[in-house]
Amino acid sequence: MDRLRIALPKGRLLSASLDFLARAGYDFREGVQHTRRLLVSDGTGRLEAVLVKPKDIPVFVEYGAADLGIVGTDVLREVERDVYEPLLLPFGYCRLSVAAPADRPDTPLRLEPSPRVATSYPNLTHRFFQERGVSPEIILLSGSVELSPLVGLADLLVDMVETGRTLRENGLVELRTIMHSQAALIANRAAYALKKEAITALIEDLRRTVAEMRSADDA
Amino acid sequence: MNRKRLAPGELPPGVADLFFHAAEQKLALEATLRDRFTRWGYRPVIPPTFEYAETLASEAGVRLAEEMYRFFDRDGRALALRPDLTIPTARIVGVKLFDQPLPLRFYYIGNVFRYEEPRAGKRREFTQAGVELIGAPEASADAEVIALLVDALQAAGLTDFRITLGQIGFFRGLLAALSLSAEAAERLRVAVDRRSQAEMEAILADFDGDDQTREAIAVLPMLAGDPEVLDEAQRIALNQEMAAAVANLRQVWERLRQYDVTDHIVLDLAQVRGMAYYTGILFEAFAPGVGFPLASGGRYDGLIGHFGPDQPAVGFALTVDRLLTALDHQAAAETAPPIDVIFQDCGHMECLSLVRRARSLGARAALDVLGRSVDDLMAYAREQGIPRVALCEGPGRVRLVTEAGSRVMEAAAWEEEVRTWIG
Repeated sequence: MDRLRIALPKGRLLSASLDFLARAGYDFREGVQHTRRLLVSDGTGRLEAVLVKPKDIPVFVEYGAADLGIVGTDVLREVERDVYEPLLLPFGYCRLSVAAPADRPDTPLRLEPSPRVATSYPNLTHRFFQERGVSPEIILLSGSVELSPLVGLADLLVDMVETGRTLRENGLVELRTIMHSQAALIANRAAYALKKEAITALIEDLRRTVAEMRSADDA
Repeated sequence: MNRKRLAPGELPPGVADLFFHAAEQKLALEATLRDRFTRWGYRPVIPPTFEYAETLASEAGVRLAEEMYRFFDRDGRALALRPDLTIPTARIVGVKLFDQPLPLRFYYIGNVFRYEEPRAGKRREFTQAGVELIGAPEASADAEVIALLVDALQAAGLTDFRITLGQIGFFRGLLAALSLSAEAAERLRVAVDRRSQAEMEAILADFDGDDQTREAIAVLPMLAGDPEVLDEAQRIALNQEMAAAVANLRQVWERLRQYDVTDHIVLDLAQVRGMAYYTGILFEAFAPGVGFPLASGGRYDGLIGHFGPDQPAVGFALTVDRLLTALDHQAAAETAPPIDVIFQDCGHMECLSLVRRARSLGARAALDVLGRSVDDLMAYAREQGIPRVALCEGPGRVRLVTEAGSRVMEAAAWEEEVRTWIG
């Protein structure tokens, strides 16, 4: 059967992704944690992994540089690439929220004339405000988004929230949830046709693992 | 308006210059495709590059209308560059050829223009090669264009590729059975298109239909693979339209088996792109090294009726530039020499006649019009990868220098030598 390549996200989702794949029988933990290589093979030789930045994962998969990828649905909706999304994975739960300094007057967002919004999710942010008839001034940052209202860079921020602790510690409150996110498996459209057998078998393995984890949670 | 200053010779995004080997390779590929289309009895159609925007963007072309390059004629009429060649071909058939004996078989090779983000294999100007088989509603016509696509890809030198084959009637029938709102129908179409199990589950959770209907929705994204999926599709069919789609696919598959091309075909009933346009089978071709389709096509019985009497039609369009990428990926790129021989320009009429003779025999022969010295000429040939240099040894006598050595010859021996190059 064809060997498949999967793109794994560096950062927040990496260790949960590695644990999940190991549970499904594809163990990259040794290769990823003890070497600095960017292309890692698993024990079975059926799958190899590349480590890339989360936002680049849909790009690698759309071009077919990786057959599959694991990425948060937040990133998936933000970058809007033409890929298949066969499976949601039971980890990486978080939400994309609008937040503001705790002392912001309690007025609806739709009454804001043109708020300055700091975010690293410009497309989702733009869409959220547009749907409310507000045309925001989007300040695109690649990190330290929570800092921006504190130093007067922005009025609001839109960012990923897991527990809300970072926000609270910085005197910020969540105003609205834009979307809920979790990890998802994505696949290249051409690979779906060209490596159908290998991909179907792999997705079946992962689907079974997801079901096992769900029933373990229920028990 | 305050525009950024352009660098000298800067190109707009989404276009490309081709020259040398890349240009030769593309022209050779087009010649191969033209030859294949011709052998299957298809004849060329050459529509204009631009037309009235209204014609191209009529209901027929609505899916491409947003991507068209529009501009104004001097009298203020809106014109547009053609976004594909199927719409102009449909116009020609509908308006001019409606009384011709059927079927009509047309092929085209030409550039099309679309204003879209230049990424993931999308250019703003690119070359399409395609066929249209008009006036034949039967499965045998469907199978013919798919078998022709396989033949064309193989003739181009592609060995590893697959074509996914679906039938839009199956999904249309499902939507009819569900009687969903337009919004809910589109949500379901997107979920199926993305093979999104999660979104399908969410839709099912909101849906209050019987178990049979629920199963049909749940199973749809998995109806891909060998002909066995047709048995499964038949089992879950909810109405006549779905059953007819499956029956049609069976007939097409059977014909494809006769053409001996089913090794390249994967059935895929979850193929739901271009639903507003296709009316029967639809297919896409994929090859390793290119993450997106090389070709796509299907049956579009509703298009020609926008321009004249209704006419069933089936066809495909292949993106030549993507096929070149796939070929590069599959074959070790061999760089052919740019020409076969370069001649020292000695000024003898007798030597010039040897050059002319070589050309008339089919060799690619160039004269060193810069009048280089022998050393410079040899160095130039080496650098350019030109395999032979002909140096003058007196009127009508040349010394042919190759990697293997050199040899002096006159007209008779020369002719014999040239013939060995072109084999």
